[in-house]
Amino acid sequence: MAQLSSTTREKNPERVAVVAAGVVSPLGFGLAETLNSLRRAKDCITSVTRFSVADCRCKTAGQISDERLLAGLNKKPRAKRLHRASHMMIHALREALIQVPQFEPELTIIGTTSGGMSYGEQYYRSLCRSGNLRHAATWIANYPAQKPVIDAQEEVLGASVPCQVIANACASGTNAIGHGFECVRSGRYQRVLTGGYDALSELVFTGFDSLQASTPEKCRPFDRHRAGMVLGEGAAILALENLELARKRGAPVLAEIVGYGISTDNFHITQPDPSGVGPQQAMEWALQSAEISADQVDYINAHGTATIFNDAAEGKAISQLFNGVPVSSTKSMMGHSLGAAGAIEAVISLLSLRHQFLPPNINFDALDDCLDLNVVANESRPAVVRMALSNSFGFGGTNASILMRRVEA
Amino acid sequence: MSLAIAGMGWVTPLGNGVDAVWERLLRGDEASATPISEQFADRSYSVFRVPESAVTGLAHPRLRRASVISRFAATAGLEALQAAAVKVDSQNAERIALIFAISNGGVIYTKRFYRDVVETGAQAASPLLFPETVFNAPASHLGAILGVTGTTYTVVGDGAVGLLAIKMAEDVMTDKSLDYCLVVGTEEIDWLLCDAYWRWRLLRSAPPMEPFGKQKRGMILSEGAGAVVLAPEGPITIERAHPGGCYGKRAEAEEILKRILRDLSQVEVDFVISSANGTFIDQAEQGALQQVIPDVVTYTAKPALGESVGASGLWQVILGAQALRHGELPPVLHADLAISLRLARSRMTVAGARRAIILNSGVNQQVAGLRLALR
Repeated sequence: MAQLSSTTREKNPERVAVVAAGVVSPLGFGLAETLNSLRRAKDCITSVTRFSVADCRCKTAGQISDERLLAGLNKKPRAKRLHRASHMMIHALREALIQVPQFEPELTIIGTTSGGMSYGEQYYRSLCRSGNLRHAATWIANYPAQKPVIDAQEEVLGASVPCQVIANACASGTNAIGHGFECVRSGRYQRVLTGGYDALSELVFTGFDSLQASTPEKCRPFDRHRAGMVLGEGAAILALENLELARKRGAPVLAEIVGYGISTDNFHITQPDPSGVGPQQAMEWALQSAEISADQVDYINAHGTATIFNDAAEGKAISQLFNGVPVSSTKSMMGHSLGAAGAIEAVISLLSLRHQFLPPNINFDALDDCLDLNVVANESRPAVVRMALSNSFGFGGTNASILMRRVEA
Repeated sequence: MSLAIAGMGWVTPLGNGVDAVWERLLRGDEASATPISEQFADRSYSVFRVPESAVTGLAHPRLRRASVISRFAATAGLEALQAAAVKVDSQNAERIALIFAISNGGVIYTKRFYRDVVETGAQAASPLLFPETVFNAPASHLGAILGVTGTTYTVVGDGAVGLLAIKMAEDVMTDKSLDYCLVVGTEEIDWLLCDAYWRWRLLRSAPPMEPFGKQKRGMILSEGAGAVVLAPEGPITIERAHPGGCYGKRAEAEEILKRILRDLSQVEVDFVISSANGTFIDQAEQGALQQVIPDVVTYTAKPALGESVGASGLWQVILGAQALRHGELPPVLHADLAISLRLARSRMTVAGARRAIILNSGVNQQVAGLRLALR
């Protein structure tokens, strides 16, 4: 298997600490607001306002308010030209680095699916309609996927750090964290910034609508009456550091990443293999990589898009590997933020470990008859959470899982 | 850790096949420019297209609806695997990693998909086109053709992304359960891309592309793919892959390039494969080269092949590997005689050359470099 285990990798792999985290999502700005929304099981899905959805089946999404996003904006003209995605990244990175001001990353690895897509849309619409192309150069320059990463680094770090941008569809965020984990674990790097971002765009929204993957109803992961996903947006950053070095320099250790699994199933470009083999392999390899057994996992933050096919395949895979472990899909509250999803959900898993609670899976009525899962239905609840697994799966049959462990203060 | 190149594959406007393209470059051939236009615009642009014949004979159900970017990638990837004598089967499907380098991605289908939305409304959006707009669609198609089941990454960035993907491959290959990593860079052209680069003042209306020219007249876009199979053993090694850097302002690119060159030239190098393409990056590369390794011979293939952005880094690696293997450099086309760099102005022997630096500067803030060595 591709990501077999630490035993095939290195004799003494390094331990990997999460020393800081930052997040902006429909659940809130920052860790504290996010925690509060999770505990209150807040439904953050609202009517789409950024573009017309009159012709779409789905009319809702998890959205971030521009008013808050742009509040306190750097007054330089350049800052006004940046894409919303850059501002999300700036917020998330700033929050993370306030916690560890001395953190000097050697590499940044970020996941995304669509970069500054809405700038591409504006450019195309203006071209087609012989519209005003005065801002075309700005749209084009701020459209590429690496731009929000570089913008955030410049704005917050004031430094140039090499960056790798992973675009593995909806698994991108988890892949970025997983690869960052592997980089530190192998000893090749000591400090890596990692995470993911994506901003809502008309093209992507319409695309999922055309596939009838998104729903005009509530997002109900794993429910008998689930009818599809709702999109979202956001950004999250995790600062990873060699655990021993982090402790030596007195950095806070929020959690430890202990395992990563990545697999590819070649069943279909948009649908998972119904057997669940891809997700199952990713989770199995994450367990092997962490050298732990399934019964040591206390919480699973599922990919849980609420599409018929994803939840069936993921649910089957989870029940084949785990026996009654509490599962929730927090996408029910904030929507599916694509390349950011894995990163935001890693932060949610981190909060679960830190604050000893299970985030809820809202809009849940009754479990799909075909599934055998212990869903954290509708309300968060206190729990002993020592080990959390976070899943992300995407188009192209790409599957990723990471395992995080609680670290006692 | 040092990886080796075990096989290569190449799809370019000068045809496909590593040795065939190489021969044409040595002869001083230049791709033919063709015009590209759009129904709603008056302006047309010149581009270097891959000839149809370069991607025929590749039949797989996954490619039936796929855009040419996926066909380029599959053709180059399969050639590289064949050259490395690697057959993917159920025994080793999880032991081969796949890393894609992409810049603009499936722009043809993305435009077509969004055009329907703009012209007719969301109800006209095609569920068949949408999956092909996703960056990792080409990787997914090649993964399905090969049957790989393990690590697959698509890395996106500017023209430097190819070398960043190789750097990532180096990191990924620390996993001892992996035998090979197939790295593919691929790109397709559309009028929309040309227009975007033109509005960004980086494109010129027609060839020639003049590398290192003072006027910075711009580049000609091209398309295609390049692929390398990386393995622990092989005749050419990636002796050092620099993690690269990001520049904020254009003027900062030269400083980062200098750092990269200083790092890579700590041992004697015989030539540099530059990414000079007629834009502002040429000045940055020239300045860095003149200050760090002024006497080293420099070559760029972009006047002959065009700027293929996401594929360009892989193309440069193939060029470097071929030059080391054959002890020759093709001529740099359309370079002004006044340029002070030591350019390979005509077909040049570099017999006995042991090391080459590949320097790659993207136009959107990323730069990267690596050093190849002949074993």
